[in-house]
Amino acid sequence: MPALRSRWLYLFSALLMVLSFSVWSSDYPTRPITLVVPYGAGGTTDISARQLARLAEPLLGQPVVIENRPGGGGVNAMRTVSRAAPDGYTLIATTSSPSFVAPALRDTGYDPIRDFTPILNYSGPWHGVLVGADSPYHSLEELLDAARSGSRLTYATAGALSGARLAFTQLGRQTGAKLQHVPFDGASGATAALLGHHVDIALVPAYRDLVNNGQLGLLAVLDDQPDPDFPRVPTLEQSGHDIQFPSIVALMVPHGVSAERAETLRSAFREAASSPEFAAVMKKLNQPVRLLPGDEVEAVIRKNLAAYHQLAETLKR
Amino acid sequence: MLLDAFHALLDIWVLIAALSGVAVGIVIGAIPGLGPTLAIALLIPVTFTMPPIPSLILLLGVYQGAIFGGSISAILLNVPGTPSSAATALDGHAMARQGRAGEALRVALYASVFGNIFSCLVLIVLAQPLASLALDFGPAQMTALMAFALIIIVLFSGGSILDAALMTLVGVAAGIVGLDPIEGLPRFTFGSFAAEDGLALIPVLIGLFAMSEVFLQVFAGRRTTPPAADVGPLSGDGTSNRPVGWLTLWKMRVTLIVSSTIGTFIGILPGIGSTVPAFVSYNLARSRSSHQARFGQGEPEGVAAPEAANNAVTGGALVPMLSLGIPGDAVTAVILGAFMLQGLTPGPFLFQQHGVEVYAIFEALILLSIPCVLFGLAMFRGAVHIIRIRPRHLFPVIAILAIFGAFSVNNSLFDVAVMLGAGVIGFVLRRAGFPLPPLLIGLILGPPLEQSLRQALLTSAGSADIFFRSPIAMGLFAVTLLCALGVMFKRYRQTHRRDQA
Repeated sequence: MPALRSRWLYLFSALLMVLSFSVWSSDYPTRPITLVVPYGAGGTTDISARQLARLAEPLLGQPVVIENRPGGGGVNAMRTVSRAAPDGYTLIATTSSPSFVAPALRDTGYDPIRDFTPILNYSGPWHGVLVGADSPYHSLEELLDAARSGSRLTYATAGALSGARLAFTQLGRQTGAKLQHVPFDGASGATAALLGHHVDIALVPAYRDLVNNGQLGLLAVLDDQPDPDFPRVPTLEQSGHDIQFPSIVALMVPHGVSAERAETLRSAFREAASSPEFAAVMKKLNQPVRLLPGDEVEAVIRKNLAAYHQLAETLKR
Repeated sequence: MLLDAFHALLDIWVLIAALSGVAVGIVIGAIPGLGPTLAIALLIPVTFTMPPIPSLILLLGVYQGAIFGGSISAILLNVPGTPSSAATALDGHAMARQGRAGEALRVALYASVFGNIFSCLVLIVLAQPLASLALDFGPAQMTALMAFALIIIVLFSGGSILDAALMTLVGVAAGIVGLDPIEGLPRFTFGSFAAEDGLALIPVLIGLFAMSEVFLQVFAGRRTTPPAADVGPLSGDGTSNRPVGWLTLWKMRVTLIVSSTIGTFIGILPGIGSTVPAFVSYNLARSRSSHQARFGQGEPEGVAAPEAANNAVTGGALVPMLSLGIPGDAVTAVILGAFMLQGLTPGPFLFQQHGVEVYAIFEALILLSIPCVLFGLAMFRGAVHIIRIRPRHLFPVIAILAIFGAFSVNNSLFDVAVMLGAGVIGFVLRRAGFPLPPLLIGLILGPPLEQSLRQALLTSAGSADIFFRSPIAMGLFAVTLLCALGVMFKRYRQTHRRDQA
């Protein structure tokens, strides 16, 4: 009897092995994929990620489940994903702040370069240098001249650890302008403070309607490329300052995902992100579609992480 | 315009959206930890393919239903379903334990509806002019407002002012944990990444009010466990459940109007939410009442005041969201996303370009009160029986709901630990006779008070001038001072009279 049982056991385990091998060799993905959104449900990052996931599902042949992990300005979600199994079943739709701003400023518990492999960049709202409609400054140079010659100008940002703050701190250091940072809770609070004349400048995204309506003036954009809605407004670099705050919204997987699986994800999500349906949703959300391959995203992160790290060191001194 | 908008509502899909939205909202709101934010976020994908009016009515129905739904569990279980109904639990649950659950629920329902209709009317008439008022509230004005709210809570908390002040300070101190709002540096996190977000409001709330109740029961011993309460006759002809009709509402008219006004106007200002107006109007209702001692022991006005206020926030919060595109809290931020997806981009152009849709939505907000009342009354028939469940059977359920609710906010075990910690602290403080609401208000208002004070001083280069130059801030400080003097004078007269007698 024991012999018989053990023979069955052998047979059974052999069968299991065959089965597991067949699972191993079968096409990826074979089960639902989790896409972590580092912000709360209902924000623009969340809504656009949900749309992208919905469009990628038929291409991947598996459901893409959205998991919201808000908190810490996106840092908590990045830390969780950096420790997830690198099997291609966990992705994150991350933004600039947790990928190269927060890690440059403090210990976040992950390394954005070593712990992640970028798959695809699909959006990234332009951040503008905005002033009130009745502001005496009509160009970035006028503003900087004023701030150099005694006026102390205040600028509002979306939060203490925002990249916009770092870009402007750097600008102040390079030009000797007196610029005082005032962080708000989110970009809408910063915009409201500028509209209510509580600050002189706001560094925020989603300014198009307010600028077109004549309520705010756009002096420059912080990105490395001009905003296609306002092609005449210069970037900081075009204005002669070697500073940029590129805005990214990118899909990343934990480091160690096999090249084939990363490629499967990349092609599916690239197709979803370039579909007219996705473009329509993003237009409604007032968000751009900006496609960049993973290696270029990594280069952007690497470059800015180093620059911000250096800046953070000088800030401490 | 208003008539065109009304015509747009005569559509079967609008009716279906309204009914299902309110029903989903009431149920979600009644479950602790599942607030309107989550429900709306989950429903947004469902509304993608729907036309704008029904889809937004569905989502706003959820919002409205959930805020009322929170009061059901607050009254019946003493577990606030949403933070804003914590004030409702004070008198609502006391009434339920006296067998007046049906009466408490009805008062809550009618007060909710009143607050909602009031704030929607304000929204229709004043949305555009009020939006600029919200912009006038910069850091200095917000500092004055937060200080005003904190001091009002302390002054009118009813019991010992010193106790309330102490609890408020404990709450403010608890709000320091986490990342510094200005520099982004961690404070009191002891190297824990999870603590960087600070002590989240919902776990603390559930711990303080629900879990502490469980601990109280555990340590109360078997003999002292209160017996299951009686439901009382539902129809209202019995001795304990007084009927709730127009007369009851008429008697509370001042409370209802004052509370709704507070809710609407605090709702317009970003970042305060609906919990604070609920407590402020509860305290004001008590300070005005001729029988203050009955508050906390089961006074219907103590249920009506916070419910009118927290529902009035709905309309108020939509003012800056629609006319400026600036959301005041998490729920309106989610609704903002839904508006944008429907092509109704909130902002200065919204009323010009989509006037019919916007006014249709406003009118629907008022009409949503009808399904709210119908569903509410229908649900009460069954729901009141929860109060008959023996506490020893009920408390394990409450403990599970508390853990589940704390976890579901951020899917974080740290939040569960915070909830249990808050439960132990709440238990100790309740045993010692300290009031808990000031602690909660301190935790809610402490961080924004710190942030706006520091913002104000950053803009003014460290000079306190910024407060003196703002008429709004000075006005608020003056009102705060008057309230403090008034309360002190009243207390002085009371002690004086006692001395003479």
